[in-house]
Amino acid sequence: MIVNELILPVILVTIVLVVGAYLVAVIDGMIAAALGTPQRGGAWLAPLTQGAWLLTQQANATEAPDWRAWRLAPALYLALAATGLAVVPFSPTLIPTDLVTSVVLWGSVEALATVVIFLHGWSANTLLALIGAYRYVALGLSYILISMFVLIGVALPAESLQFSQVVASQEGLWNVIRQPLGLPLFLIVGLGMTFWGPFNLADSRDLAGGTASTVSGPSRLVWELARAAMLVAFSGVAASAFLGGWLGPWLPGPLWVMLKMLGVLAVLLLLGRLLPRVQPERCVTLMWVVLLPLSFVDLIWAGVEALL
Amino acid sequence: MAVSWLSRLAAQSSVPVFPVRGIQGEAALHRLTLTPGVELVDSPRHASILLVAGGVPPDQHDALRRVHDQLPNPFATLWYRSEPLAELASATRVDDPDALPGTLMTAHQELMRGKRGSSPRLLPDEPPNPWEGLGDDGHGGEGMMGGVPYGRPMAMNMHDDIRDGLTLDSLTVTLGPFLPMLPPGLGAKVTLQGDLVQSWITQHAPYPIALESVFLEAREHPVPIAELELARARYHLQRLAFALRLAGLERLALESLRLAQGLSPDSRLEGLRRRLTRCGFFRLTTTGRGWLDETLARRVGGVAARAAGLEEDLRSQDAAYGRLKFTPVVQSDGDTNARWCQTLAEIEQSLQLARQAEREGLYSETTEAIETPRGPWGEQRPGDASGVIDDLLPGLEWDEAMTTLASLDLAAVSEWPQDVTQELGEAPGDGADAAEERRA
Repeated sequence: MIVNELILPVILVTIVLVVGAYLVAVIDGMIAAALGTPQRGGAWLAPLTQGAWLLTQQANATEAPDWRAWRLAPALYLALAATGLAVVPFSPTLIPTDLVTSVVLWGSVEALATVVIFLHGWSANTLLALIGAYRYVALGLSYILISMFVLIGVALPAESLQFSQVVASQEGLWNVIRQPLGLPLFLIVGLGMTFWGPFNLADSRDLAGGTASTVSGPSRLVWELARAAMLVAFSGVAASAFLGGWLGPWLPGPLWVMLKMLGVLAVLLLLGRLLPRVQPERCVTLMWVVLLPLSFVDLIWAGVEALL
Repeated sequence: MAVSWLSRLAAQSSVPVFPVRGIQGEAALHRLTLTPGVELVDSPRHASILLVAGGVPPDQHDALRRVHDQLPNPFATLWYRSEPLAELASATRVDDPDALPGTLMTAHQELMRGKRGSSPRLLPDEPPNPWEGLGDDGHGGEGMMGGVPYGRPMAMNMHDDIRDGLTLDSLTVTLGPFLPMLPPGLGAKVTLQGDLVQSWITQHAPYPIALESVFLEAREHPVPIAELELARARYHLQRLAFALRLAGLERLALESLRLAQGLSPDSRLEGLRRRLTRCGFFRLTTTGRGWLDETLARRVGGVAARAAGLEEDLRSQDAAYGRLKFTPVVQSDGDTNARWCQTLAEIEQSLQLARQAEREGLYSETTEAIETPRGPWGEQRPGDASGVIDDLLPGLEWDEAMTTLASLDLAAVSEWPQDVTQELGEAPGDGADAAEERRA
């Protein structure tokens, strides 16, 4: 009982998060190298040496930060990533936490991420981090609505808010084909939620690293790890909601989930390297004027399709 | 044991370097950007080496000390063609650009292996704003106003919001002179509301930029036009690389720098231009902000003037350019977008002129008035134009303000040329050092 419902899920989630976050760094390094970034040493070793360097670096102080919030925010973001990943089903039976409302739980992870990221920028008590935090709140409000409509879209054919049911409902046809607008919109949500690439408004170069601009040493390591982990959790949810989760021929279910997650990660990381950062005002306009109406269309599409 | 294993691993990481961009330090940083194993970072908190590239005027030494003390332990400093601060007498100084990457890597490895101690703190670790227990309410001010509790001025809504009516507390801060997003040396007092720039008062002009020596020679005697035009294209490509990196387009920034490094009359810009357009740089990043009217555009000169529709280019007065059928390219909008379109067009034009001039072996003829990449050099060298941003930036969001700044070339032109020896890979020349000393 305890082994099945507590220990195994925790071990499974931890392993997937740690290995996944490492793979995020490796894949990102490989993409960067392929696109011409000069690199010494291999992509497989680089994340480890970088992590080791951060562990030997001192965690700095700023003038009168809100210490508790500042140190907790990276850990909270990591915890949110773990919570999100815990609802991803790896096979009909291998599900860390099979809540009947797992889609709603994921929605709350997205909403709470806004709070945690704001906290990280605000508590440092420095200018550039604060601007990053402000910007993220504006962005966060814009993408959460899109995410909700898109996820309700996948819950309709399943007639359930449970990710395992959502996967089971894709037995005949995956949602990526059944609702063609869904996955592209959801990928944009993913880039926003992890403030990656074009939607990196919180930790961007024009803010010298934004909310992470004044963090060093182990806290920075945890923060970067948490960002990568959130990307992994997101790819798990995207694979379940749109790519049929464990469904697939020949290979065992969990392997299919992992492969699909890797595919989603590769697409997100490639987009992150290819696209420029979107100007904040343009970004908010894009979200509300273009993408939100598209998510309505996606929902109507899903509703009509479910009725037929 | 475990610790030594960790440090050995850490010693193999790429070297995170925070560059302080001093006078005449840019060229070395461009080379470092393309060096594997060295990573130039944007925040001193993310670095293990503080690299002071180029001279820093004595009145900015205090700012330099503050940046120095922001690096977390363990860290080292390295001075490239720059006099170390008096307190850091034993600091490493490098003058040879070819030795720079190696020295950086050695310093990082020695730090990680514990063979080299961390640089000492220069300033006392205490709040710069004494406030606790002072004033009427112990907040350092009078009545309920004033004071800087926790290092920040009291939150006061003294200004009307100039954006959307959502009045956030305004925050006044001093930026620069070593903030990596600003031109080197630029210092400003800025009031922000959220991420909106409410006022911008430039306090220090950016450091004068050194042009390649061919432009200074062109003022004295005729020089090959091909050489002049390639140097011009190189200058613009390096500015473009900075803006692209700022926009999160690392790979295109590197492509631009590589193009600049190996530039020849046969180089082509089409690939870079196509990738820039396709990835949405003009639609997503540089939107129509930072508009200069004719007066301001003329004050900045050069690319900014022509991007605002002013057909002013001293090359038109040169008979040799006349034989190449040179006519200035112009844009009409005068905003950030137009300035980058103009820059790309001018790079293409320069490459084409270089090709033609090389074939015909043409030399420039006029020496009284030459067009530098920074602007016209008639009777006077192009001077500092940073005054224009005080009117231009208020009302813009932070991102728009930084994008606008990157698109403007504001610094004065230095009377000394860029060090030429480093292009040839010889021992460091005395030109730049002598120039620095004379200035000091």
